[in-house]
Amino acid sequence: MIPATLKKTNEWKSSDIVFCLEHMAEMERVWFAGSDFNVYQYDLSLEKPERQPFDGEGHTSYVTGMVRQGNILITCGYDGQLCWWSIDERRLTRKIAAHERWGRAITTSPDGSKLYTVADDMLCKVWDSTTGELLETLQEHALQTPHHYPSMLYAVAASPDGKWLATGDRIGHTAIWNADSLEKVAEIETPVMYTWDPRARRHSIGGIRSLAFSPDNNEIAIGGIGKIGNIDHLGGPARLEVFDWRNATQRLEIEDNKKKGLIEQIIWSPGKEWILTAGGDNNGFLTFYNAETGDVLHQDGQTGHIHEVSVGPNFDELVVAAHERLTKWTMQSEPPKPASDETSKEESNSSEKPDNN
Amino acid sequence: MNLLNRRSMLKAAGTSAAASNMAAVELLSQPAMADELARSGKNVILLWLAGGASQLETWDPKPGRPTGGPFAKIQTSLPGVEISELLPKMSTRLDETAIIRSLNTKIADHGQGYFLMDRGRRAEPGIEYPHLGAILAHELGQIDSKVPDYVSMYTSTEGRRQGSAGFLGARYNPMFLTDKMIPEDIQLPESISDTDHRDRAALRKTLSQRFAQRMNHAGVGSHENAYERVRGLMASDYLFDIDREPTAMRDAYGPTQFGQQCLVARRLVEAGVPFVKVARAWWDSHGQNFETHRELCADLDHCMSTLLDDLKQRGMLETTLVITLGEFGRTPKINGSLGRDHFANAWSCTLSGCGIRGGTVFGKTDADGQTVTEGEMNAGDLFATIFSALGISPDKEYMVGSRPIPISDFGSEPCSEVLS
Repeated sequence: MIPATLKKTNEWKSSDIVFCLEHMAEMERVWFAGSDFNVYQYDLSLEKPERQPFDGEGHTSYVTGMVRQGNILITCGYDGQLCWWSIDERRLTRKIAAHERWGRAITTSPDGSKLYTVADDMLCKVWDSTTGELLETLQEHALQTPHHYPSMLYAVAASPDGKWLATGDRIGHTAIWNADSLEKVAEIETPVMYTWDPRARRHSIGGIRSLAFSPDNNEIAIGGIGKIGNIDHLGGPARLEVFDWRNATQRLEIEDNKKKGLIEQIIWSPGKEWILTAGGDNNGFLTFYNAETGDVLHQDGQTGHIHEVSVGPNFDELVVAAHERLTKWTMQSEPPKPASDETSKEESNSSEKPDNN
Repeated sequence: MNLLNRRSMLKAAGTSAAASNMAAVELLSQPAMADELARSGKNVILLWLAGGASQLETWDPKPGRPTGGPFAKIQTSLPGVEISELLPKMSTRLDETAIIRSLNTKIADHGQGYFLMDRGRRAEPGIEYPHLGAILAHELGQIDSKVPDYVSMYTSTEGRRQGSAGFLGARYNPMFLTDKMIPEDIQLPESISDTDHRDRAALRKTLSQRFAQRMNHAGVGSHENAYERVRGLMASDYLFDIDREPTAMRDAYGPTQFGQQCLVARRLVEAGVPFVKVARAWWDSHGQNFETHRELCADLDHCMSTLLDDLKQRGMLETTLVITLGEFGRTPKINGSLGRDHFANAWSCTLSGCGIRGGTVFGKTDADGQTVTEGEMNAGDLFATIFSALGISPDKEYMVGSRPIPISDFGSEPCSEVLS
């Protein structure tokens, strides 16, 4: 199946920045959080849904990541805290001081039993998602950049089979871990995602902002931004690299200069036909790439940088967390065309292929 | 500056004013002896935060507000005073520092903002105002100094912010370092011996004096002064060589260029250079403001605290004024790229050391940092405060032709609350 149409159907504006969300399409519920430190619920079945806040002394800074385990939400934030929230009771049920620096991302093992968090203490921590017990701490990423400034650990991902874990940092270093033994098994370098300006600005920008294993667990997609001329702005190409991670062999290298900025999230289609990337500069983009060729299959944009996307179980609905808004998109897919048609399509699209250099 | 040197300078200024590039400039009145003494041995290090640092991520945090960003505030060593958690080292070193949180300078454009905060006044047709470094080089420098009066290190952002000594004349333009840590072309070529160089200088001086007797022109004197200073400047190259510092001291300042330049700045003021500007670029964080400040504040926090410690341990902080300033601050509003844009209506700076009432926080902004609610200060007021801290009367006037020009902008007042 490949995405044939993508249409924005709803937009809910707010005064804050929405960094993360969870979405349950069948219940028409969205849970989200962001720059006002709170966690909210939306009932999307209502014509004008209103924010329903969760109770409790939760985060004291930006909430940057959220996962759902049944009727429990778990969030991380810049305050270094991990918070558990009951969806049924809409209240905080547990709070743990997880990291000494700013929490950046959280994900779960496929079976939901473990949580993985990363933060600017440059540590990945493994947690029992039910009890909140700290199981292990993974130390790999350098505290400082090569230019002697604090580094940042932005991204973490678990493989669909639950056997592997990946962590990615500001300078473009990815570590792959065995999720059982928690031993590092591979490393991948994507240095183009880190721009150091040694002359004009004398600071850096960029970093690995998103990671995702392929459905067959054999590849990993790494997202960020390419080299930026003027690092005052996010004016660089959205950059995606795909590797056979066991051999650290790059298979795809894509730069999109049409829709610029950071790739904040990567989602593979279940059949590995396409890769969805979401992110942006001052505004947001949604771009579908052919996972085999890297060709752009579909692309659209919206007002407001996109921080996270939640995809419905049938891959027909997207809910987007963005700068000062939530948006909802519908997507219709179509089956792959016959080989002869595919060949002609590739030929006709060749002039539209993004510049990969 | 000792009294003898000061007198020498005044004498030289008085007798040769007509024959120098300062010809249009005369002191309206002779400074009093007390005024001379007040300025004796004073130095300034300006840490120029080029591009505009965010007051919300430094000296005036607003956590928990829509404009506050993600970073927390931390308690400082001063009761009730909190600054951004990005400045943990400075939070314990505010005893000699005054934080000013109420700058309203209105101009939020790099070029014009730089002009304003570099000169303390807006541009005016028909007159070229000198920048702060030139004024202080003029006021605090020694006419017969063997070291530069004014050194500016600006190695980033294309080195475009050189400034001008304006009506004070080229004598007060900075030694400007844009590419390297050590000034280029101040060492003798291998093909010329020191004796040869001295002989050449003597011959040039003889010819120049004959020329000056025949040509009564302002530029001649300035030209002569410049050559007179060459040998002194050439002999000062060691000041820029931080390898002469103990390893422990170099390690203390750290490996970044800003740290190394702060160490050079300390060496320069220790040797008697009255004004050193260290520009730390580039804070213009329209995108990714929080990541940018995470990096740059770490550098500022470490280097500024090390510099203040070093000056204090050497007994120099009482005579050295350390300023952090830029062309403006940054918007409370956070844009779509998680950046902050230019903002000059309510921002912050600091003054540390010489003449400053340490432990002071002056001025207030509203809950979201959008406006100044107490103690509004403009660029002229800030400059008047800086002059007062250094023992320079902010009411002093220069004569440019027949026109008296106040050293501080018309109508400006020093802020007595931050002065010791």
